[in-house]
Amino acid sequence: MRLPQKPSAAFLLGLREMLPGTPAMVAWSLMTGVAMAKSGLTVGQAVGMSLIAYAGAAQLAALPLMVAGAPIVVSVLSALMVNLRFVIYSAALAPSFRTLPLKERLGLGYLVSDMGFVFYMRHDLVLRDDPMRKWYFLGLGLMVFVVWHVASLIGLLAATLIPTSWGLDFIGTLALVALLVPMLAAYPARVGAAVAAVSSLLLRGLPYKLGVVAAIVAGISAAVFAERQQRLSREP
Amino acid sequence: MSPDARIWVAILGVGATGILTRCSFLLFGERIVLPPAIERALRLAPAAALAAAVAPSILVIDSGAVESIENPRLAAAIVAALVMWGSRQMLWSMAAGVAVFTAIRLLLAA
Repeated sequence: MRLPQKPSAAFLLGLREMLPGTPAMVAWSLMTGVAMAKSGLTVGQAVGMSLIAYAGAAQLAALPLMVAGAPIVVSVLSALMVNLRFVIYSAALAPSFRTLPLKERLGLGYLVSDMGFVFYMRHDLVLRDDPMRKWYFLGLGLMVFVVWHVASLIGLLAATLIPTSWGLDFIGTLALVALLVPMLAAYPARVGAAVAAVSSLLLRGLPYKLGVVAAIVAGISAAVFAERQQRLSREP
Repeated sequence: MSPDARIWVAILGVGATGILTRCSFLLFGERIVLPPAIERALRLAPAAALAAAVAPSILVIDSGAVESIENPRLAAAIVAALVMWGSRQMLWSMAAGVAVFTAIRLLLAA
């Protein structure tokens, strides 16, 4: 793939290439909006959180803790754990963008998303020396950003019309389940998720919701251990 | 701190985690290279975090007890997970989950 050698054209190509990804994004952000509206936050807080956090899964993971009055550190730590995947994306994108000025790297970094990352990495190696790559990335990232915020705000505001008795706060949990399931294709992730789930249940009585943090640590440790066992058993 | 202020501080904190993780290596990438062991741990973290978040909201009712068969959330989550596994379509998965949840809720209420 070669980019058009004009900033506006490369930017538009990015926007256009992201179009096939939008239906799935609209569904996910609409549902996140609905779940946010039904979470127990005020509408103002929910809108604020959606705009500030720009991280659906982390928002939905932190929300029940925030509403239950867990210490701020605990809510923020859970969000951080879910967001850790962005560190990997960031590390993978760094070789492409390390020569850009700090301000541009910050701007592009803010637009990193699951979908944008996957789309960009399809062409990462060929684009490494292309001077227009930042405009292309900007197009991809901005499309995700705009679609996400518009759809989640629509979901959020529409959901305020739905009675709380329908129990749709549960939609947030269902969204997290749908995110989790594809991750379970890998054996170490399955072990980690199982240990984290069971620990989280067993430790739910701990004060300040610290059980959630402990469960995540236990899950990651178990997953890392399982992966090492798997690797060792494969080696001759 | 008032409950309202606590929520806003938490919101800002959650937002900060997004910016820090996204920009991490784009900002300092030229100085640090991610060791493979750390990268593996980072890659496995989200599944553990999601599972830890999801399990209590599926299995624990307000009284704190682990619930069983009549729990509409457990049945709905199982169906949603199966649909997701089969179809890889988030929308179908969530629609199935909401349908099962609502059906059981209405049956239990009747």
